[in-house]
Amino acid sequence: MDDPLVVLFAAVAIIGAVSAHLQHDRFNKLIAVGITFGGIVPFIVDRGYLDVAIAISLIIPITTIIMLLICRRETCDT
Amino acid sequence: MLGEILHILTAAVIAWVLFVTVDIFFRLPERGGVSGASAIARDIEASGGALAGGNMMGNIVCSPDASAGTLLAACGVYVAGIPGGLAAALMVFIGNRICHDPGYAGTTGAVLATFVIYAFTQVGFAATDFIAGMVIAILTIQGLSHIHASRLLAQLWRLRQ
Amino acid sequence: MIALYIVAVIAVFAVCRASIEKNTGRKLPYVNVMNFAIAGAIVLLLDHPLSLVAAAAYFVGSTLEANAIASTYAGGVRRG
Repeated sequence: MDDPLVVLFAAVAIIGAVSAHLQHDRFNKLIAVGITFGGIVPFIVDRGYLDVAIAISLIIPITTIIMLLICRRETCDT
Repeated sequence: MLGEILHILTAAVIAWVLFVTVDIFFRLPERGGVSGASAIARDIEASGGALAGGNMMGNIVCSPDASAGTLLAACGVYVAGIPGGLAAALMVFIGNRICHDPGYAGTTGAVLATFVIYAFTQVGFAATDFIAGMVIAILTIQGLSHIHASRLLAQLWRLRQ
Repeated sequence: MIALYIVAVIAVFAVCRASIEKNTGRKLPYVNVMNFAIAGAIVLLLDHPLSLVAAAAYFVGSTLEANAIASTYAGGVRRG
C-alpha cells in the first residue's frame, strides 16, 4: 500500500467518523459507524492480519444489531 | 496502461449485463424480498424513481444477490481459479440464508460468473479487471442516479414480462 | 495496480455521496457501493486464499448490518 492509497482509505474512515458526529438521526449514526469500519479494514488486511479482519467483520455487524435492539427498546419505553 | 483501462471497461460492461440478466431472470424487481427492501423501494419511488427498479435495488442492498455473487466469484477466480469461484458461490449461499433470503439468484450468479470470468482469463483478461469492473458496474446502478437507474431497471423488467 | 486505485476512488466517492444524502432509505445504496469497493480492495491488497474468506465475511457482515438497519427503519417486522 503506497501513499495515495493510504490517503484514500483514511479519507473513507475520517469522513465516516465526522459524519457520525454530525448526523442527528440514529439510523444515520449507525450507518456512519459502519462506514468508519469499512475504512479501517483495508489497513488491517494490508498488514496481513486476515484472521483479525475476519473476526471483526463478524463482530461489528452483531454489535450494530445489538445497538439497534437497545435503541428500539428505549423508544418503546418512552 | 491504456489497454488495462480498456480491459476494465469491457469487463464492467460484461459484468453489468451478466448480473442484471440473472437478477431479472430470478424476478428480483417483482417485490421486496424482506421488509427493508420494500422501505428502500418506497423511498426511491418517493424521490421520483420507479417502484420495480427500487425493489431490485433494495434487494441488492439487503441480501447478497447476483451482483455480490459476481464480485466474490471474480475474487475467487483471482485467488484460486475455478475452485475459488465455487467456494465463493458456497459463501454467497450461506450469506443468503443468514439474511433470510429464500432465493437462489446469488448462488446461480456466482457459479455462472465463475465460468464466464475463467473463460475471459483464457483470452487475455486478468481477474483483477473483473473485480474493478464489477465495482464500476454496481456504481452505475446504485451510486450515480437512483432515479435514472430505477427507471432503466423498470423498463428492462417490463421487457421481460 | 490501477484496479486498486479505481476501487479506492469509487469507495471515497460513494462515501461522500452517502454522507451528503439525508434520507436513510436512499443512503443505504451508496453504502452498498462502498461495501462492494472495500470487499474488492481486500482481495486486491493481499493475494492469499484467506483473503477470499475475509472479503466474503466482510461483505456478508455488512449486508447483514444493512439488512438489520433497513428492516428496523421499515418498522421492524421481527419484534425482539
